[in-house]
Amino acid sequence: MLARIARELYWLGRNLARAEFTARAVEAVFQSELHGAIDSVPSVSFGAGGLLTMLGAVDENQPAGTEALAHLTLDGDRPGSMLASVERARDGASTVRDVISAEMWEAINITALGLRGGGQPGWAAAAGPYLSSQYVKERTSLIWGVAGRSMLRDEAKCFLDAGGLIEVSDMVLRMLRVALPGADSPRADGYAPILLKAVGGFHAYLRAVTAPPNAHPVARFLLFERAYPDSVAACVDSLHAAFTAADSGPRNSTPVLRVSRLAADLDFQRRTLPDGAELTGICERTQQELARIDQDVAERYFAGAYAAGTWN
Amino acid sequence: MHFTIRYLSEYRYGGPVTDNLNALRVRPAATLCQQCDEFQTRIAPEARMTRHLDYFGTEVQEFAVVAPHDELTIDVRARAITRAPSPPPDGTWGGLQSRAYLDAAGEYVLPWKDQPATPGLDQLQERIRAESPLQTLRLLCQEIPQRFEYRRGATYVSSDVGHLLETGAGVCQDFAHLAIVLLRRHGIAARYVSGYLWAASTDGGAKSMEVDTHAWLEALLPSAEPGGEPGWVSADPTNSGLADESYVKIGHGRFYSDVPPVKGIYRGTARSELSATVTMARLDLADSALAAA
Amino acid sequence: MDELFEPDGTPRAVARPLVDALERLGHDGLMDAGRRRDAIFVAQAITFETTGEGGATHERPFPLDLVPRILAASEWDSIKHGLAQRIRALNHFVDDVYHGREIVRQGLVPWRLVASCPHFERAVHDIHPPGGVYTHVAGCDLVRDRDGTWRVLEDNVRVPSGVSYVLENRAAMARLVPELFARYAVRPIEHYPQILLRALRAMAPSAASDATVVVWTPGPANPAYFEHAFLARQMGVELVEASDLVVRDDMLYLRTTRGLERAHTVYRRLDDAFIDPLAFRPDSLLGVPGLIRAYRAGNVAIANAPGTGVADDKAIYRFVPEMIRFYLSEEPILQNVETYLLSDPEVLEHVLEHLDTLVIKPTGESGGRGVMIGPDAEESEIVRMRGVLTAEPDRWIAQDLVELSTVPTLGSDGALHPRHVDLRPFAVFGERVDIIPGGLTRVALEEGSLIVNSSRGGGSKDTWVLADGVEPEAPVPTLADTAAPELPDLRFGQWNDQQQQQQQQGPSD
Repeated sequence: MLARIARELYWLGRNLARAEFTARAVEAVFQSELHGAIDSVPSVSFGAGGLLTMLGAVDENQPAGTEALAHLTLDGDRPGSMLASVERARDGASTVRDVISAEMWEAINITALGLRGGGQPGWAAAAGPYLSSQYVKERTSLIWGVAGRSMLRDEAKCFLDAGGLIEVSDMVLRMLRVALPGADSPRADGYAPILLKAVGGFHAYLRAVTAPPNAHPVARFLLFERAYPDSVAACVDSLHAAFTAADSGPRNSTPVLRVSRLAADLDFQRRTLPDGAELTGICERTQQELARIDQDVAERYFAGAYAAGTWN
Repeated sequence: MHFTIRYLSEYRYGGPVTDNLNALRVRPAATLCQQCDEFQTRIAPEARMTRHLDYFGTEVQEFAVVAPHDELTIDVRARAITRAPSPPPDGTWGGLQSRAYLDAAGEYVLPWKDQPATPGLDQLQERIRAESPLQTLRLLCQEIPQRFEYRRGATYVSSDVGHLLETGAGVCQDFAHLAIVLLRRHGIAARYVSGYLWAASTDGGAKSMEVDTHAWLEALLPSAEPGGEPGWVSADPTNSGLADESYVKIGHGRFYSDVPPVKGIYRGTARSELSATVTMARLDLADSALAAA
Repeated sequence: MDELFEPDGTPRAVARPLVDALERLGHDGLMDAGRRRDAIFVAQAITFETTGEGGATHERPFPLDLVPRILAASEWDSIKHGLAQRIRALNHFVDDVYHGREIVRQGLVPWRLVASCPHFERAVHDIHPPGGVYTHVAGCDLVRDRDGTWRVLEDNVRVPSGVSYVLENRAAMARLVPELFARYAVRPIEHYPQILLRALRAMAPSAASDATVVVWTPGPANPAYFEHAFLARQMGVELVEASDLVVRDDMLYLRTTRGLERAHTVYRRLDDAFIDPLAFRPDSLLGVPGLIRAYRAGNVAIANAPGTGVADDKAIYRFVPEMIRFYLSEEPILQNVETYLLSDPEVLEHVLEHLDTLVIKPTGESGGRGVMIGPDAEESEIVRMRGVLTAEPDRWIAQDLVELSTVPTLGSDGALHPRHVDLRPFAVFGERVDIIPGGLTRVALEEGSLIVNSSRGGGSKDTWVLADGVEPEAPVPTLADTAAPELPDLRFGQWNDQQQQQQQQGPSD
């Protein structure tokens, strides 16, 4: 397929996943604040200064809280906001309207229209960020569903999925690093179920793991559990499948080989790391590796459209 | 006269470039008073060449160098034999209205609309009006070099005649354009000619010399006899007179961009530097074969 | 004339069921359908950019009027044959102009007129396209005059647009007001993309049936981008931009994730000037350098062929009836609107005297730009036009004013008002000329206005061509049984008590 289109689809996938996981992060912050209030743990809330900073919502000298959350959701001028991600997805989708289905375009377009101009009545209230992030979660689920049902399982879908997968694993890693840094404080244990709920993996965890949802087992679950689709390991597996299907020569393709090594490495760590071992290092390494894969992808698949430069 | 012509262009690029596509219009044409008996083009790096005749009947050679390269050489060698043109017809102004004249004139008599209508043009137009179209053509060829300075760098490839009038200086391309505009304003069909000019005096002197590609014009003049066919007459508004056998024509068009000697485009951010030379030598002088070798 | 109502206000026979259905829908039903229509178009971003007073642009949902236009089968038949005839003649003309110039030599069309067409492209002189077809997609604008006679107002054989709205209009009407269709057999149009694809494949320079066809768009900023994407998607082919294309060894390639892949047919939706900087417009770096070389070498087919603009020039238009007689030895089925070329001083004088009754058009423009309608023009505008025409007579043409028929149209007040319409049918010239029934009916939404261009506030209507006889209705398949089958072990009913006696056998030795 056209290199330019492949690139647009890949970034469409990334932007959709970015919007979705920003919404999930907002929900985590919101829940933890409620949680914090109930537990009357003063001045500490899940991600304050952490999660928000990671998503680019907080300036050094600006108070966190509801206002920052509002920026994170509907401030189109902030590149990290949910609205900005959705708008980027819409712009991208409009240039590949002939490749994605009409239904999918419509689903994306309506999502952007729904978020614009402050969104729906009631979103201006204190719970606005929560409501709008719910909206984005619902809409992105719908969009992915429509994509799965209406797009051919061809190269185009591979690149769309690949973009989504790389963004999901990156976002999960970010949330892990911010939400469960030390993993040995009781506070982190308290946040673990909130994080799980936010990413939508609470029930999956209960069915897959016998240990209570404390920081360590939750982190291991989100990193290594290949049966859970949004875990980093599962994303990397799927990424491997997507690139292998899209590549003309997967046996000597840099991105395919790198993804393959990363998958093996994650599997090795899962088997060899003792329970309770420190996970920050592997989170960081995996994130760096994903960034390299991103570069490899641009070079191998998208360069055709741009490498040669301009006419003279 | 019998000439050898070598037209050598060497492009150097500031870095590697690719997809270098070029179209050459460099082959001496076959006309009533001219023929080309040898012609070859060499490209380095090597490239496959295709040929066709364009709308105006000029031979076009096209090639493309695809792989990255930082130098391009276009080496054209030709031999051409020219004869003195027959004396120009000196028909009346009335002859411009005849059916035969208008049919032969075709699009070359249509007003050139993209040119600016500056007051200077009106003055010049009046100034060159003479007894007959032929006298007008002669007068024009004297008037232009008197009024304008020949200076390289005064104008650009895409300059219009307004630019020439404004700066008072230009090159042969601008002079030819201006002459064509003025002739058409008088209802005389005129077309742009690209070619090579042996700029030495015709009685000998140098046997070999460095020149440039040159531009002049052809005007369609009505026949002096009633009912006679009109004829195209070459004239050079840069060198003050009608053309003779020292002119080697490549082709003609409405204006420059219909017959550019080299037209190209390449992909890359690097700038290019061009060195182009045209070397002409005469074979019909006693010892010129040595000089050409 | 009004197409649905008699002069006395009673519906014409063909319109009676439609008028009944509209009455049953009523004011509220129509207004409600209108709201749903806007919501659907906004959701799909089928919008149109309009330029309002002061040059400000804004997007609005594509204005589809809910009252369809009805054309009887016999009427359509003559339009269809007339158009096919005209398009064949135009195609002959393009071929002739770039090769033998027979029609010029016969003295029927002046060469100077051809040579001064802005879209006469010397760069494609003497090129023979595959199959000898140049005008693959044509959209001629038709109008009906006072007595209902169909006339051709303009030809468009460069990059006619609007067909996507024809298809979207039909789809939207079927969703919004299905009851209107109830008592009519409307001929389908949905197969247009397949017709187009078949023609594009047929012209491909390879014998292979898997020729790669692409649609070339200038990009998302183009006002017709929606249509480009629509057609690419409906045909299942790639939508490309110039940066996706490259010419190597006189072949056209696509830049893909797997390297270069050959393309055989380009359906380009941009003007000649922007397709190859080497062949056209030396000042432009847009386009695909070398494309015309590949085209000349016969390695790529281009639809429409470069250079077709010479045939839809507004001055050349005047000679189309002559072309039909000359190339086809037939009499024109569709009439021209009386047109005056101003290069003749006598004609110019006549036109200058009657500016207040004529329509003046610039030859080099499209989309209704620069048009002056004499009876509607202010005195100052007429004075200005007189000066312009005297200065540059051959850049303008004059035409008799055609009244344009009307069709009832839903106003913002929910009532029906007569509004002027034209019709742009779409023809595809592949192995033969195919014309989908109907076309784009454009409607002037202002009372009395004759300007139907969507860029200037016009709307559109779904156009119904009725089938000759009513076709028998196909039986409607009934729904299959949707209850879940029982689980295999339940099929045998309830549990039964069963005990088996233990009968262990010893080793068999």
